Amino acid sequence: MADIHYTNVRIFDGGGEAPFMGEVLVQGDRIARVVRNASGVRAAPVGGARVVDGAGAFLMPGMVEAHTHFSWNDQPTLDAIQRMPPEEHILWCAEVARKYLDMGWTSCVGAAAAKPRLDVVIRNAINDGTIVGPRYLAASQEITVPGGLGDTTQPHLPQPDFAFGAIVSGSEEMRRCVRMFVKWGVDSLKINLSGESITGMPSDRCQFTDAEIATCVEEAKAWGKRVAAHARSCNSIKRCVTHGIEVIYHASFTDTETLDLLEQHKMEHFIAPGLAWLINTCHHASEWGLTPEVTKKMGYHRELEAAVETMKALRKRGVRILPGGDYGFAWTPHGTNAKDLEYFVKVVGMSTMEALLSATAWGGPMMKMGKSIGYVREGCYADLLLVDGDPLADITILQDKSRILSVMKGGEFHRAPPVRSARTTRWAA
Amino acid sequence: MDTSTLFTNVRILDGTGAMPYAGSVLVQGNRIRTVGRSSAALAPQGATVIDGAGATLMPGMCEAHTHFSWNDSATLAGIQTMPLEEHVLWCAKIAKKYLEAGWTSCVGAACAKPRLDVVTRNAINSGQIPGPRYLAASQEITVPGALGDETLPHLPFPEFSFGVNVNSADEMRKAVRLFLKYGVDSIKLNLSGDNFTPDSPAETTWMSDAEVAAAMDEVRVRGKRGTAHARSAASVKQALRHGIDVIYHASYTDSETLDMLEAKKDRIFVAPGIAILLAMLYEAEPWGITHAKAVAMGYQHEWDAAQESLRAMHKRGIRILPGGDYGFAMTPHCQNARDLEFFVKYLGFAPMEAIRSATLYGGQIMMKPDELGIVKDGYLADLLLVDGDPLANLSILRDPKRILAVMKDGAFAKSPEIAAQRRWEHAA
Repeated sequence: MADIHYTNVRIFDGGGEAPFMGEVLVQGDRIARVVRNASGVRAAPVGGARVVDGAGAFLMPGMVEAHTHFSWNDQPTLDAIQRMPPEEHILWCAEVARKYLDMGWTSCVGAAAAKPRLDVVIRNAINDGTIVGPRYLAASQEITVPGGLGDTTQPHLPQPDFAFGAIVSGSEEMRRCVRMFVKWGVDSLKINLSGESITGMPSDRCQFTDAEIATCVEEAKAWGKRVAAHARSCNSIKRCVTHGIEVIYHASFTDTETLDLLEQHKMEHFIAPGLAWLINTCHHASEWGLTPEVTKKMGYHRELEAAVETMKALRKRGVRILPGGDYGFAWTPHGTNAKDLEYFVKVVGMSTMEALLSATAWGGPMMKMGKSIGYVREGCYADLLLVDGDPLADITILQDKSRILSVMKGGEFHRAPPVRSARTTRWAA
Repeated sequence: MDTSTLFTNVRILDGTGAMPYAGSVLVQGNRIRTVGRSSAALAPQGATVIDGAGATLMPGMCEAHTHFSWNDSATLAGIQTMPLEEHVLWCAKIAKKYLEAGWTSCVGAACAKPRLDVVTRNAINSGQIPGPRYLAASQEITVPGALGDETLPHLPFPEFSFGVNVNSADEMRKAVRLFLKYGVDSIKLNLSGDNFTPDSPAETTWMSDAEVAAAMDEVRVRGKRGTAHARSAASVKQALRHGIDVIYHASYTDSETLDMLEAKKDRIFVAPGIAILLAMLYEAEPWGITHAKAVAMGYQHEWDAAQESLRAMHKRGIRILPGGDYGFAMTPHCQNARDLEFFVKYLGFAPMEAIRSATLYGGQIMMKPDELGIVKDGYLADLLLVDGDPLANLSILRDPKRILAVMKDGAFAKSPEIAAQRRWEHAA
């Protein structure tokens, strides 16, 4: 691995201050030096380091996707995801993992896999170099109840293999289920606390008993694992706090009591609302039969309004809101995840600075890596993006692959910066 | 418009058996447009020009007996206990390695789980993963107790077995139909045993004619190909009787067998896979197989017989192809070009004949005899740029540093290295 010396770059270091001109030296997998200097000042060369002259481009920490489903296959239904055979499914996951890294997501938090071992295998294959992908935390399947979100079995097709999620009923089934996923090696257990209107059980209901939830959390904690919840309803969000479920996905419906509760415990939880799903299901899914009339009837428009109000309130109260969520459906295809940052700015009212920090500074603890990622600072892992333009001025440029000039993960270029001039004559031998 | 690549100043080893000559080769789209004797031909506008500086340009090689899913383990059980998800990613990784090593075509000879080969082939063809042109095989089909039946008395489950066990013509038909449903290009039958499995050694022959006939009947109905693991003379004859054209191993022969092989020499291919015999005899000690143990297992006896059989076949003009049983701990993947050296050293091949067996014959076993395997106008652009002269030293073909570039279907799978370094010059 060659050392890399970025010169002439505009550095956004993840600390919340305005970017500054300077240079960054990467040695091994870490950032060795960050220097401020005036524009155009030539840096002293470092022996053995390759120089990347950024020509004023924006250097920022790699982004963290807080709610990732590599195994969702850009299809319109859960059934269509589940019908992909396991061999094709694992290759799909490998392809998607690379795509996330391509798009600047150097870390991803798995939020559920469509078959028991997909996430675990992908994480292991990334870590041992078999495939290329972001840093990854592997999730279980969605754990649900008969008839709940993720139970896609049918009366005449009751086999568990037909189900999108892992279906349990009762504490002891829950315990066994959690243990099986722990045996496979997951980093987190995903529990579907609330319903989801598209699947029949409305989003404002909660489908588990307290005893089942308690067993899930108890067993996960016994093995040192994290629990993440699909929690759209007010009641399910409260139960996340009371049961100590660290990661709360969606959190659409809240009341003052819930908001107070979340604020009181704000450093114990992460919220990833996955607004892209709501916005696109409401307004951009007609092609797949989900016209605005249909989704209005399903309650998604009401939920979107509630979710936006909740996020505005949580933002004011300083609760950590992170980007990512439910990309991998036909109307939220993989790779477009940076739209979340645009929605944070345009819909929730964050500043572009807050939106960038949500993808960087809060990503480290979300990845259980503290402050070792998410910053351009000495000693941090060299997960770095070189961006053509200023995301602080226009957050949408992060959605454009051609504007992300290079992606580095752990000191190695996944995508090296393009050369200025193409030559047509090459020499071999 | 199609992209063009012009190789100038190259020494063309065209794969037909003709001596190499200086020249240039123009590739347009996925085909070879012109092969010229001028070493500095004019490039059409927009073409990428590769000045080969005298390197050898030859056809991509074809591996005639490939097992992507063998995972460099020392035992069949070690292969079979890899879980499905990991196994698929393993196959994808190996497919890429073969291509980058210069094997632009591979003939699947069996996979370790039902759909591994089919899925890998489809993913290559759709562009999802890089890999050689590939013909997908079934699992090994075998009978209880024979090579590939890895079940144990207390673990009789089919998933536990390396191959698919059938017992009767009807069961054979059902197994073959299932693999054809999955989309295989060939059905692999384990007709003989193997010294790797001492309870079913190489000279034993296991399947009934009724079972083989049922398999080949289904294979013909769907226009596919049958292939056979056939080490014993009886199994080679059985394969020929039933119209199996791809014969793996063929270690033991008698004059009747050789006559039968010669009579069908325009149809059949023999891929002996001799590397595993040599490796078991001389290179398997780290995995507990000492030379003495290998001899006791019958490997010396088989190796002596195989040299005699294959020399005789070669003299009779029977097509013998490289490849075979790489993917064990003692025969790791991508050392496959050793086969060419063995052909010269042990079987009486001239180096040019060894090259031809990997190129001209490769196009033929890939079922594309008129468009693949040689450097000729109009043929598919599967090309290797090699630093050195393989005719003088075949071992350079298994040295990644000497394979300067690999092109498959007109696109570089491995680009000439110097160009890749230029990207560091400037950013933004």
